[in-house]
Amino acid sequence: MAKGIRGGEAGRGWLFISPALVIIGLFLVLPILLAVWVSFSDWNGLGSPLSGNTSFVGTKNYEKLLVDPGLSQRDFGTSIRNNFYYVILVVPLQTALALFLAVQVNRRILKARGFFRTAFYFPSVTSSIAITGIFIFLFSASGAINALLGWLGINGPNWLADPRGIFHNFVELFGVHSAPTALAAGGPLGISWWEWLAGPSVAMCMLIVLAIFTTSGTFMLIFLAGLQSIGAEIDEAALMDGTGPFRKFFSITLPMLKPTLFTVITLGLIGTWQLFDQVYLTGGGAPGKTLLTPAYLSYETSFKGLNWGQGAAMAFLLFLLIVALTLLQRYILRDRHKGEKLDKEMQRQIALHASVTKGGTS
Amino acid sequence: MTKLRASALASYVMLVILALIYIYPFLLSLAGSFKTDADATNNPLSLLPQTWSFAAYERLFTQVPLPLWAMNSVIIAVIVTLGRVFLDSLAGYALSRLQFRGRNVIFAGLIAVMAVPNVVLLIPRFLMIKELGIYDSYAGMIIPLMVDAAGIFIMKQFFESIPVSIEEAARIDGAGIFRTFWTIVLPMARPALVTLFILSFQGSWNEFAHFIISRQSTDLNTLTTGVASLFSGQLGSGNQFPLKLAAAVLMTLPVAVLFFVFQRKIMSTTEGAEKG
Amino acid sequence: MNTKKLGAGLAAVALVAGLAACSSGGTDTPGATTGQKLTMLIGSSGDAETSAVQAAADEWAKSSGNTVEVVAASDLTQQLSQGFAGGTPPDIFYMGWDQFGTYAQNKYLDPYAKDLSNAGDFYKSLKDTFTYKDTFTCAPKDFSTLGLIINTDMWKAAGLTDADIPTDWAGLESVAKKLTTDKVAGLSFGLEYARVGVFMSQAGGSLVSADGKTVTADTPENLAGLKEVQKLHDDGVLKFPSEINSGWSGEALGKGAAAMVIEGPWIKGIKGDFPDTHYQAVELPAGPGGQATFTFTNCWGIPTGAKTSAAAVDLVKFLTSDAQQLKFADAFGVIPSTESAAKEYATKYPENASFVKSNDYAVSPVNFAGSATVITDFNAQLATLIGGNAKAILASLQTTLQAALDEANSK
Repeated sequence: MAKGIRGGEAGRGWLFISPALVIIGLFLVLPILLAVWVSFSDWNGLGSPLSGNTSFVGTKNYEKLLVDPGLSQRDFGTSIRNNFYYVILVVPLQTALALFLAVQVNRRILKARGFFRTAFYFPSVTSSIAITGIFIFLFSASGAINALLGWLGINGPNWLADPRGIFHNFVELFGVHSAPTALAAGGPLGISWWEWLAGPSVAMCMLIVLAIFTTSGTFMLIFLAGLQSIGAEIDEAALMDGTGPFRKFFSITLPMLKPTLFTVITLGLIGTWQLFDQVYLTGGGAPGKTLLTPAYLSYETSFKGLNWGQGAAMAFLLFLLIVALTLLQRYILRDRHKGEKLDKEMQRQIALHASVTKGGTS
Repeated sequence: MTKLRASALASYVMLVILALIYIYPFLLSLAGSFKTDADATNNPLSLLPQTWSFAAYERLFTQVPLPLWAMNSVIIAVIVTLGRVFLDSLAGYALSRLQFRGRNVIFAGLIAVMAVPNVVLLIPRFLMIKELGIYDSYAGMIIPLMVDAAGIFIMKQFFESIPVSIEEAARIDGAGIFRTFWTIVLPMARPALVTLFILSFQGSWNEFAHFIISRQSTDLNTLTTGVASLFSGQLGSGNQFPLKLAAAVLMTLPVAVLFFVFQRKIMSTTEGAEKG
Repeated sequence: MNTKKLGAGLAAVALVAGLAACSSGGTDTPGATTGQKLTMLIGSSGDAETSAVQAAADEWAKSSGNTVEVVAASDLTQQLSQGFAGGTPPDIFYMGWDQFGTYAQNKYLDPYAKDLSNAGDFYKSLKDTFTYKDTFTCAPKDFSTLGLIINTDMWKAAGLTDADIPTDWAGLESVAKKLTTDKVAGLSFGLEYARVGVFMSQAGGSLVSADGKTVTADTPENLAGLKEVQKLHDDGVLKFPSEINSGWSGEALGKGAAAMVIEGPWIKGIKGDFPDTHYQAVELPAGPGGQATFTFTNCWGIPTGAKTSAAAVDLVKFLTSDAQQLKFADAFGVIPSTESAAKEYATKYPENASFVKSNDYAVSPVNFAGSATVITDFNAQLATLIGGNAKAILASLQTTLQAALDEANSK
């Protein structure tokens, strides 16, 4: 009897999964293989990269980005620097804000919880194009943000046209206007240490605020789920100890939220290294290339500079970077939590988030 | 007691201010879209236009091919959403319930695939779409988006939470595998299907990068690529904030409506345990 | 039953893919000059340009028995490269001066222009721009030069007359000072190579040596040009558009935030937004190295190896005839690329005569293959010019441009 029920399952199984396999194979696996070939070739965008006109050039494209001094290397280095500052500021801030919001809207005594959750989550569902457009308006020279700053007596910058690094601006207050000799040269990827230490440009600050604004809602929901799954335990523990709210949060809630925290940080890291749409909309890296990111640079190098091999190579370097960071995160996570349940929970959350952001490419 | 009340009041005030910060940009853009160009530039914080101007909307429907962009967006979002919901659940069902050789390998492959960041795929996808000869067509814009590994994963997880006994009963009664799936399992999976529907619609409606690299004709512009082209206008076009804001408002509307209709559903996707 | 349904679904997917593949093919007869369907991709300045180009194309199509579809690109560079990479380039298109070198080097362009019957009629400077490895490749469509655009009302209000029109840098500084008020910048232009570069040329500088082998960016002349820009800004008489809340300097002129700007004939585009602004275009002042300005031009590009190229060349001949070029001039103000038609244009439109006149000494901005990315980098570095180190910017340009030039010359 059992055999009757199981009958034909193998065939049906393959049949059910084949459309998905065909599409994923055609538009994910094969493209990657094709791009691997392009990244080792001198294809100039004319005709097919598989035709006879294209030849193998070894690791030349990768060398140009990583070791050969020159504009390609410097541009790549600049884009890495820009994106690094973006990541290093966005990830902690959005995580902290999301956690803070989640704790606030999770409180039982709070009235209108639904309203607040909706308000905080809404920016996450809008398209990156619409919301970036809105921010360009808010941050224009005579826009809302500068009008607000004006009330406080601050003369706001012309955000999107200001390439000055904020760390440079800061040391300028102490009379340091140009690179000290120790920092004037020598940094990795053809960028001087002084340039590496410039900090995000004023323009990049707008994109940082934008990212925190749009993603904190999504992560708030993930934290909410985490909080609710540990809710009862916390209350009991806190009741027995008679601890105050702040101590309760830092000594009980936060340690129990660690798995969720790690999930959020991992997702944040993966997402922030993919900054593209916002750069496209704000003029492709302007001002002064301080908004250039690896994702955008790879697109521009290929589609506008016709240097397809180098563009593809850059995409793979970005991929490696993201994989390395993810593995690092997973390693840290695995070290501390071995529970099967947590692992599943995290996978579920990754799937959920991936499907939210995959479409939006944030 | 008064101390407690004061602190509750303080946290309300803070939350209200935060909520305002989150909502105000949207209200401002809505207001801005009804302003004149000069008004939008000179009174950026005001929620009330000095004079109500519908010029931006008028231009969007006459000089800018916004209806065409919207139509493309609708066509693509609908097909992608239906495709994803159907194909993801088929695959998810196979992975969770049907025994066949290679199942575990496929599943491991899917997890690996989920790790590939989307922007890394821009150039590779373009190359493949071009090789297949579907560049600059609906096919090239739609088919690559019709399946997503994360969706398969969500469906698989959900199917695993449904008791097997019901399907086995149906199968013993002689129903085929597809019929069991279609008439018995899918209806039970409604919550997961709704989740997938929302995520897919929102994702494909808001998709931008893929439509940049899979087409070139202006006729195939979607709302995202079309509105983006408004921002990269030529010399002399000026700021035109009302026009851009109106476009942003219009493209946000469908997602906003979907959001408010399914609000409860969205809010509880990640908090299943709340009402427990 | 169930299998069939599924199979049908799969077949549908395959069918869509197949159909699309077929439709992107074509049924052109090679080499024919009639019965062709041509697609033309243009970077249009507006409706006036698009409809005038379509009208001209239709006229040719009708008389020659072809059809032409004119498509106005939203981002010409991107759409062109995607068209080529996608295997479906337009049959004829606007090719910008800045991308020309890169396209020619990668063999994207059909070098048809050397055989044109009217090849001798074009300005030499324009032909030079579109010459790759000694081959005149594509026919210049039109040209624009940079001039000094003056708000005449502010000019008069400041007590200035025609005699005050600056002929050298000192004159420019002095009138800019007189025109500057609390709310108005005396002079404005974008902080980019395409504007700042004219100061370098006026100081006697250049970027590439005459033999095309050596980069000459890091020279005292170029430094003098950049220093002049720094001086104007330090004196408070020069403001960049972003500093006076404008997208470009034409907007600043239009809304009265700047009294003088350095722009080209496209300045007339501000009429729509700012109908009440009165202005006049004059030649740029001379620097220590004499008079200099930039000339910008597009050519009619034809993709290499296209089946429609014979018809497209025929269309270019029609479009670059003096009569047709003057029609374009009437419709959207571009200056004809042939000397004879340009002279006629200057008489007909005296307000733009200065742009035509200055083409006699204008130089083309650097545009060899691969220079575009270097110039983008230069533009990015110029953002630090004010309060920054002009010499370091030029030194960096020298290195990167020389590397790009060596690579271009090695191919």
